[in-house]
Amino acid sequence: MADSIKIRATLKGNMGEVRLLIPHPMESGLRHDLAGQTIPAHYITSLTLSLNGRPVMEAGLGTALSADPLFSFQFQDVKAGDKLGVTWLDNRGQRGGTETVFDTN
Amino acid sequence: MRRRSFLQAFGSATALLPLVGTGLLKPQAALAAESGRAAFEARTALDALRLLGAGAAEQNPALTIRAPEIAENGAAVPIEGISAIPGTTQLSVLVDKNPFPLVVQFNFGPEMLPRFQTRIKMAESSRLRLVAAAGGRFYTVFRDVKVTVGGCGE
Repeated sequence: MADSIKIRATLKGNMGEVRLLIPHPMESGLRHDLAGQTIPAHYITSLTLSLNGRPVMEAGLGTALSADPLFSFQFQDVKAGDKLGVTWLDNRGQRGGTETVFDTN
Repeated sequence: MRRRSFLQAFGSATALLPLVGTGLLKPQAALAAESGRAAFEARTALDALRLLGAGAAEQNPALTIRAPEIAENGAAVPIEGISAIPGTTQLSVLVDKNPFPLVVQFNFGPEMLPRFQTRIKMAESSRLRLVAAAGGRFYTVFRDVKVTVGGCGE
């Protein structure tokens, strides 16, 4: 978790687009290292978005999202200054998150 | 600076934490998330669909799944899912030939459009399924993707 989430929340009219990159290995537990040892599973299981503090999206994730998961989502009826929150939780109980605001650009 | 932004991020994450996994969006979304967890363990697409309650999903042209016809790198296949079915609250992605076919399940509140883009791993060439829940019914659409170099095992 040394790297932080990259996030952009942009507006076109009242439509919002959120692009999100979460640095995370997303190890499936199915891979082996050079010594033949199984690399333990380490992946995000849950992702939540909130708008002005209210949850608006919850996703369940399996092991088959790519490493450093990248997402794009679309909102309707948002305005500049609306606050977007992101939180994630992984299978080891680690968690992270960030906040940003919708902006026109 | 980095430490500060991390602490801020972690602070807000902690504030939102009670929301994670509770499915506060709607009771049915919470139920879907619960059943979804078991579906992530399923080894076949049909088992996963059954666990999602989507065993009888009908094909519907108002659903779109976009993906490259040929994916050179199975470790990162870009996909986009879009539902034009009114009242869509959930979109799930399955890759039939992955070891665990259910890849991701999004539960959308009314503030969001039922669409997403992301990148997924594909073990080998496979059928891709997008499944939508709308008004208590399930709908699906397929797309076949050829994978040059698989992205799951070894």
